[in-house]
Amino acid sequence: MIKVENIDKIYGKFRAVDNVSFHIGKGEIVGLLGPNGAGKTTIMKILTGYHYPTHGTAILNGYSIYDDLLKVKESTGYLPENAPLYDDLTVIEYLDFMADIRKVPKDKKKQEIDRVIQETGLSPVVYRGIGKLSKGYRQRTGLAQAILHSPDILILDEPTTGLDPNQIIEIRKLICDIGKEKTVILSTHILQEVEAVCNRVLILNHGKIVAEGSPEQIREQVQKDDRFTIDVAGTVDASALKELELVSEILSTQAQDGKTIIKISAQKGADTGALIFDWAVKNGCRLSALIPEQASLENIFRKLTN
Amino acid sequence: MNIKGLIKKELKAYFNSPMAYLVVLFFVLSLNIFFFFFGQFFGRDTASMRSYFSIMPVLFILILPAISMRSWAEEFKLKTDMLLFTLPLSEFEIVMGKFLSAVILLLMMIVLTFPVPIMLQMFGNFERGQIIGEYIGTFLLGLAGLSVGQFISSRTSNQISAYIFSVVALLFITFIGQITMVINVPKFIDNLFSYLSLSTHFESFEKGIFDTRDFAFFAIITGLFIYLNVKAIKLKK
Repeated sequence: MIKVENIDKIYGKFRAVDNVSFHIGKGEIVGLLGPNGAGKTTIMKILTGYHYPTHGTAILNGYSIYDDLLKVKESTGYLPENAPLYDDLTVIEYLDFMADIRKVPKDKKKQEIDRVIQETGLSPVVYRGIGKLSKGYRQRTGLAQAILHSPDILILDEPTTGLDPNQIIEIRKLICDIGKEKTVILSTHILQEVEAVCNRVLILNHGKIVAEGSPEQIREQVQKDDRFTIDVAGTVDASALKELELVSEILSTQAQDGKTIIKISAQKGADTGALIFDWAVKNGCRLSALIPEQASLENIFRKLTN
Repeated sequence: MNIKGLIKKELKAYFNSPMAYLVVLFFVLSLNIFFFFFGQFFGRDTASMRSYFSIMPVLFILILPAISMRSWAEEFKLKTDMLLFTLPLSEFEIVMGKFLSAVILLLMMIVLTFPVPIMLQMFGNFERGQIIGEYIGTFLLGLAGLSVGQFISSRTSNQISAYIFSVVALLFITFIGQITMVINVPKFIDNLFSYLSLSTHFESFEKGIFDTRDFAFFAIITGLFIYLNVKAIKLKK
């Protein structure tokens, strides 16, 4: 559905996007993750035809951004950052305008507008001026226009900013539903959002893709070892664990409430948990906890982008 | 072209804010005040509406920028251009959509001045052809002014500076011919300046003269600034 090949975007001397390539298939929800200024918005601007890339090309829904830009624009729905809207129009006037420009057939127009109002929960503010809406309703109006013409590709720049937790859950659910049949790209710096919604993540830093894959795959790539926290009753000499070959390092030992808390780093993939258990039994230690530790996406993110 | 929706939206945006009403009101009021009070129409006792139209260029310098100032500057300020330029419309369609909606507003203003000449028919023998010519000239002058104003609006995200720059630009291209009244310049420069001046070409219509060269001049100015507007938008990509 989306094929991006070696795109660069250079503003003056600043390289906002640096040789980025990726493919996204139908029915995928892909998250662009990265710190501010990493190039997420610029990539979206290129995919929606707002900017041309300095080099490279992108093909959406089979249409090139150079040769068939109007077709590209017809196949996409776009929610720009902070949902810019016409303050002088009412919500219904705005959606009506968008339906006209998006060539929604006349006989279906009312039905489609009603559908998006329903899906985004806009019914209480339909006749209100957009300039008077709260941040949450603005965001939802922006989302409503993006899905109004049921586009094959949906590009959402930070779709849940300004929403309260309940709204965030509703909107995420909506995005997940759309993503079952359509292709969705969303940018965010909320890491839970990625875990909750996306099948795949592209982590960007300084305009480059630094990691790619499902959240689990990225964990695999970034974390070179398995980590465990072992709680043992009584005082134990942690260095005894070293006799297990697969334990590569003892990270810390701490005595607390009559327990010893040991953190270790072990070789990847081995059946470490069971071996530690066996070791404890053999040495007469009483294990009170054996916790495999997953690196949080936060840590991975910091590691990749710092 | 799929610009009907865009024109509809532009007009709604004009009339949902008090600005359009104020501009139209100011135009109609000041036109009649100048004509009847300062122009002393009844005192002069002449069956001519020339002074009604001769203030048009000055009035347009103040009025047209008030219409055109928002058309792009507002988009850039609200960042709605981010979405506008990703809609399935070409740059030319977007520029024309904005231009035509301003032209519709201009036509409304012109139509609102019709009652005066129509009523004055009762008082004397007015030359109808001349009045029609004067209206055509007014319309063409308005087209040129709006195209200049919208081009300037596309260069800024601040409506006030769009207004001020447009007033200055219109002042300049309207009255460039009159500069030679105050400074001594060689004859050919005098001719050139007076040829480039909008008011020179408007004056022929005012006198009731239809000259294709004047039509062409206004068409070229309007076309040129629409073209520049499209270029300016494309350069932003």
